[in-house]
Amino acid sequence: MPEIRVTPLGAGQDVGRSCILVSIAGKNVMLDCGMHMGFSDDRRFPDFSYITRSGRLTDFLDCVIISHFHLDHCGALPYFSEMVGYDGPIYMTQPTQAICPILLEDYRKIAVDKKGEARFFTSQMIKDCMKKVVAVHLHQTVQVDDELEIKAYYAGHVLGAAMFQIKVGSESVVYTGDYNMTPDRHLGAAWIDKCRPNLLITESTYATTIRDSKRCRERDFLKKVHETVERGGKVLIPVFALGRAQELCILLETFWERVGLKAPIYFSTGLTEKANHYYKLFIPWTNQKIRKTFVQRNMFEFKHIKAFDRAFADSPGPMVVFATPGMLHAGQSLQIFRKWAGNEKNMVIMPGYCVQGTVGHKILSGQRKLEMEGRQVLEVKMQVEYMSFSAHADAKGIMQLVGQAEPENVLLVHGEAKKMEFLKQKIEQEFRVSCYMPANGETVTLPTSPSIPVGISLGLLKREMAQGLLPDAKKPRLLHGTLIMKDSNFRLVSSEQALKELGLAEHQLRFTCRVHLHDTRKEQETAVRVYSHLKSVLKDHCVQHLPDGSVTVESILIQAAAHSEDPGTKVLLVSWTYQDEELGSYLTSLLKKGLPQAS
Amino acid sequence: MEPSEDWLVESLRLYQDFHAFDLSGATRVLEWIGDKGILVSGYENLKKNEILHLILPLRLSVKENQGLFPERDFKVRHGGFSDRSVFDLKYVPDTRLLVTSGLPGCYLQVWQVAEDSDVIKAVSTIDVHEKEGHLWPRVAIFSSAAPGVLHGTRLSSLKVVDLESQKTTYSSGVSDDELLSSLQVLDTDTFAFCCTSGRLGLVDTRQKWTPSENLRPSSGSTGGRWCAEAGRGPGPSIASLGSDGQLCLLDPRDLCQPVSLVQCPVSTPSPDPELLRVTWAPGLDNCLAISGFDGTVQVYDVMSWDGIGRQVEPLFTHKGHIFLDGNGMDTAPLVTTHTWHPCKPRTLLSAASDASLHVWDWVDLHAV
Repeated sequence: MPEIRVTPLGAGQDVGRSCILVSIAGKNVMLDCGMHMGFSDDRRFPDFSYITRSGRLTDFLDCVIISHFHLDHCGALPYFSEMVGYDGPIYMTQPTQAICPILLEDYRKIAVDKKGEARFFTSQMIKDCMKKVVAVHLHQTVQVDDELEIKAYYAGHVLGAAMFQIKVGSESVVYTGDYNMTPDRHLGAAWIDKCRPNLLITESTYATTIRDSKRCRERDFLKKVHETVERGGKVLIPVFALGRAQELCILLETFWERVGLKAPIYFSTGLTEKANHYYKLFIPWTNQKIRKTFVQRNMFEFKHIKAFDRAFADSPGPMVVFATPGMLHAGQSLQIFRKWAGNEKNMVIMPGYCVQGTVGHKILSGQRKLEMEGRQVLEVKMQVEYMSFSAHADAKGIMQLVGQAEPENVLLVHGEAKKMEFLKQKIEQEFRVSCYMPANGETVTLPTSPSIPVGISLGLLKREMAQGLLPDAKKPRLLHGTLIMKDSNFRLVSSEQALKELGLAEHQLRFTCRVHLHDTRKEQETAVRVYSHLKSVLKDHCVQHLPDGSVTVESILIQAAAHSEDPGTKVLLVSWTYQDEELGSYLTSLLKKGLPQAS
Repeated sequence: MEPSEDWLVESLRLYQDFHAFDLSGATRVLEWIGDKGILVSGYENLKKNEILHLILPLRLSVKENQGLFPERDFKVRHGGFSDRSVFDLKYVPDTRLLVTSGLPGCYLQVWQVAEDSDVIKAVSTIDVHEKEGHLWPRVAIFSSAAPGVLHGTRLSSLKVVDLESQKTTYSSGVSDDELLSSLQVLDTDTFAFCCTSGRLGLVDTRQKWTPSENLRPSSGSTGGRWCAEAGRGPGPSIASLGSDGQLCLLDPRDLCQPVSLVQCPVSTPSPDPELLRVTWAPGLDNCLAISGFDGTVQVYDVMSWDGIGRQVEPLFTHKGHIFLDGNGMDTAPLVTTHTWHPCKPRTLLSAASDASLHVWDWVDLHAV
């Protein structure tokens, strides 16, 4: 029975460890390979033993696909490919390919240097892993092998994030990864065509959320910055991703202009260095409107935003600084933090998740006393604000996406099925699809009805047409042919053609039946009577009277002969091939009823 | 800058907190379950409407360290489907039950909010015996060990029905067929009613029908449709709002003499007087809010009001639904309902006809 099988990997129900195994028409694909950020032991990795208990992963998996650079989607990749062992292709978009190794290296440094972990992947492993990556473009169909193809769609959310369609023949699965349905200042909205996959896989957390508007999040950010600056304080914003930093800069610049603020805004040098690199990655990834903004201005030609110099951190008075790295775990942002933390007028705004072990993580957990190098204790008096700018879809968004793609089935991961009946009903009702919610480690099996294309020989079709009346569009027509299956190819040809290809001689089976009729006239006249009778009764069939006196009804032959012993009886020889069994039998019984009296 | 951008910049000064959400369907209902969850429900015709139990974003519920909670979103905790439009929804305190009223069909629907799943399921109905198909009964709950449902479309059809046994425990027993616009339970034995004409009264269910009532509003009023809400506390704690923008304050001890009657600066008449709503702030003295005239919610300080015919100015006007109209519809949205947060004194929730839902904490600019 053809089927699609999906297994979300990992133990427990928690979100934050995306890794899904899909089996489709004999191909095995792994979607994402994320790390659970909350655990420090092996629970943070997906349970790869589900994939195959024996045999090499490389032999079992046809490919791995990574949707975007967030660590809960790619954090376990080097572990998987280099420590567990996988040498096949890893597909991702170009920006993801560029940014992943940087985040992985950062993460590795924190885990090993800050937390002293032993069994962790090395820098070399990250490099070796990335060598297996094949970059894909949006809407480009990539042939993984003869049968398996994949295609990336724009997902919004973060730079380089994509939704993937995995297709084998007529069966397909779409995996959304993380996506967003409303455009923001630097990224467009997710989009997919009406590809009608057998299955759409997405996150259940989306469907149970109603998101606060983008504008209100921005408002909150502006308000916090404004209040701090108004009271003479300094605002530190540690950032990593240039896209997010750019967005916040545009926001601040517009606001500064509007309100006429004078406090300086700085952009750290660490960011400017990476600027051109990201700029190139960035442009194809934004929408028209934003592309124009970028083209009009150089990345750093802000009126109110200037390049930062270390010395400025000691200047008195209010200011806003964007600095790397994003989790306050090292470098310039940490330096600035140390200088400003002791003043309650100041503020630090963390725009994203911070990994355990970083200063960022500690202060977001509420810690106000930090132990720094040399056992120095830093008292954190500055205001700490945690803001989430990451764009995710919500209940409304997921319905929109399902409406766009028109899948036959929907599968939600990371949810508890028992607790999500309403949600299931909602999706099933709205779209008339089946909704599945497997637990981690549980396999969902979807039966599919793949369509198998069969080529029919033109000769066969033509012969069918020539044989009789034209086909009726509303009625099925029985056709005889031979199905040849060769090299995953299906062809329907005439029997003669098949026999010829196979080099076999054809045998014919004919049935002959005798019908006795009482008729004193000559055979020829009997034949004419038979002809007229059949012609009037069998209006749907081709009845012919041949010059030699025999009558044909399609391919059935009727000949009249005199009975050897009784001149008053005529014998009708009815002969047909086995293909015409039905008609032959019918004719025979018809003739046995006798002929109408001649007028 | 677009007007919405302008307003957003203005809003930095006007609001402490501000959240804007888009529901899948507009609601006329905002009913609290405890102080962390609200219920909303759709009212579209000929469509499956959703009843949702939404949990407020965590940052609105925590008292300290608000800054460490980045979550700004509602969580859909429970949901159910209603084949009818829902115009009123009441939660039965200390139970897992809800009662809704709507059209078509003259009955109240009782729902149960599941404990171990996310389902809100219809469990039973309460017959209302209403002959006129276009009227829907107003509902209020007498909460006690044996909860009772107060309902009625007209004074004559006012009843209290025991939720479990479905037996009628109280009946107004009058033939007066004035249409009701609001019902409110005040304590275990008394309730307040307000008719569309503006006639209102306080009823003690232990006695035969002898409500203390007001006279029909006469001077200054030009008819229209009225609704009312009773607050707590001494003094003029009953507010009555008319569709021509008149706001009347009454003392429950003497309903015949209105303490004050003012004219609110609103666009009149209200395009849909059934949506009129007046509510007292649970956490502020002498403050109330009104909505239902346009896309705004207005907050008033009634402390120094007296006399008849005064013009008053709102303490605050929430214009978010007008400026953040993301749908770009031609018709401006209309606020369908609003409610105060039970614990945070200046936080309100408001919903509009474009399915928007706002949570806002306004700044008292007059405060010293």
